[in-house]
Amino acid sequence: MTRKRRRLIVVLAGMALLSGAVALVLSALDENLSYFYQPSELSAAPRGRAIRLGGLVEEGSLERQADGVTVTFRITDLAESVPVVYQGLLPDLFREGQSVITQGTLGPDGTFVAREVLAKHDETYMPREVVDALKKAGQWRGGQEGGGKGTQ
Amino acid sequence: MHRFANPGRFLRLANTLLPWCAGLAAVSIALGLYLALFVAPPDYQQGESVRIMYVHVPAAWMALFVYTAVAAASAVALIWRHPLADLVAKASSPVGASFTFLALVTGSLWGKPMWGTWWVWDARLTSMLVLFFLYLGHMAIMNAFEDPARGFRAAAVLALVGFVNVPIIHFSVEWWSTLHQPSSVLRLGGPAIHASMLWPLLVMMLGFKLYYVSLLLVRVKAELLAARLRARAYAALDAS
Amino acid sequence: MSAFARLVARDLRLALRQRADAGMVVLFFVLTAALFPLAVGPEPNLLARMAPGIIWVTALLAVLLSLERLFLADYEDGSLELLALAPLPLEATVLAKALAHWLTTGLPLVVAGPLLALLYNMDAAGLPMLVLAMALGSPSLSLIGAFGAALTLGARRGGVLIPLLVLPLNIPVLIFGVAAIDAALAGLSPRPHLLFLGALFLVTLVTAPLAGAAALRQALE
Repeated sequence: MTRKRRRLIVVLAGMALLSGAVALVLSALDENLSYFYQPSELSAAPRGRAIRLGGLVEEGSLERQADGVTVTFRITDLAESVPVVYQGLLPDLFREGQSVITQGTLGPDGTFVAREVLAKHDETYMPREVVDALKKAGQWRGGQEGGGKGTQ
Repeated sequence: MHRFANPGRFLRLANTLLPWCAGLAAVSIALGLYLALFVAPPDYQQGESVRIMYVHVPAAWMALFVYTAVAAASAVALIWRHPLADLVAKASSPVGASFTFLALVTGSLWGKPMWGTWWVWDARLTSMLVLFFLYLGHMAIMNAFEDPARGFRAAAVLALVGFVNVPIIHFSVEWWSTLHQPSSVLRLGGPAIHASMLWPLLVMMLGFKLYYVSLLLVRVKAELLAARLRARAYAALDAS
Repeated sequence: MSAFARLVARDLRLALRQRADAGMVVLFFVLTAALFPLAVGPEPNLLARMAPGIIWVTALLAVLLSLERLFLADYEDGSLELLALAPLPLEATVLAKALAHWLTTGLPLVVAGPLLALLYNMDAAGLPMLVLAMALGSPSLSLIGAFGAALTLGARRGGVLIPLLVLPLNIPVLIFGVAAIDAALAGLSPRPHLLFLGALFLVTLVTAPLAGAAALRQALE
């Protein structure tokens, strides 16, 4: 076997290994990697283990309990919705209609007990007047913020 | 390309360019900050906190840009044995590390009020932290050898290996469900950022880039002059 | 016997003569992992929950211990220069060194891993996945480590420098290695994490010998 031939074989083997790695990654990306669930996927989630639940805060579902610390709301992905209970401070961006990610555990009664509530911000940056003008003209396409009123 | 290999020619070029670069950098950063802090409107959701974005986004872009420059300079240095490319890599990585640090800190300051947390271990933030460590490793290995030439070459190999992280950072927001939002400016279907906010951002971007170029010129110049001084000292030692 | 196999056999023989070195790595692994229950308290649920993460982190640290010596002895006595001149490509030399390193440190850690898991009260259902994930992930650690060792050959304070360079590159292995075990413990499919570990192994199998050989050539210039 000549030197050139051997080098060719080594290069081809290297390429084959690397394309194998790409194939593995592509096949892995099809599945849920990060314990992140949306309400309609929640039936597949493990009970009692910390998971992340993401979706929109359902319009009109936010309630403050009498103790002043506990809040309850429902998270929806527009197909199904899950009741969430949380004690603590909510971030500035938390609104009804806003996209949030919560971390916590799914209780036996199907209520999600959140330890942490994070507001997810989308990539839209707009001045308020422009948003109002767009809404007035009926051209506002801002996906997640369905005109929900501020809560804080 | 090889015309710039000559240190004398580079020094002359650097001396002509430097005042312009530094002046334009100062003007555009000053203008950018004015636009960002006083002219740009508050965001419809984030309010005034959106102004952090005008520093955070350019810093994060520069962190990736400078690492790409380090990797490109390292490739040139390894393939063509270009001494100036080594100096470019050496001069760039502390600047890139500073930009990365700035992006991490400003992101954290924005994250607390907006997301509700200083830090999350999502793919974007973690890969950015790894970039910071890669910069630190690059700087450490550069100075770890008795023979500076060996330090240059080891650092160049490390910079090229670490480059895999750059596409991971860029695409992390699309590949994984990150808390960090996807790109607002470079995206299909045009920027998702209003023109009144995009312009200050672009001015800041230009300012940061020119600031990097000015620092690069100063630092490479200093390295070249230091090498000259060393050579002169050795010559004097030989003569005596 | 090919030159590659002879090189691996030589390193194994050397390791066997200095059995204490390999034993020290496992001892470090067990000892460090034994510190956590003493530090965070012996609450069984907490320990069981933390077990996969602690075992992986301590394995990452234990692998670092023996890296500095990987090329240094051959570099100092000049045999590395002979190896560079030999017909066997330098890339294959790096691969052989990494393989010998994995056999003498990675493999013992894979064996010791389940023992630690028992000390941590980890659910026995996760043990097969612990072994599988460590077996799939630890070769990548040896390969990345061999690259780091080659890069810092002859550096001042090489022993401090290697962790600084190698640990950030090891982060993906840590993430997916822990995630695979966690998924198995939670009754979820560990398949995507294992696929990622496999992909990392294939990528490091190609790139680490290339980059390591490039680094060695510069050390020998």
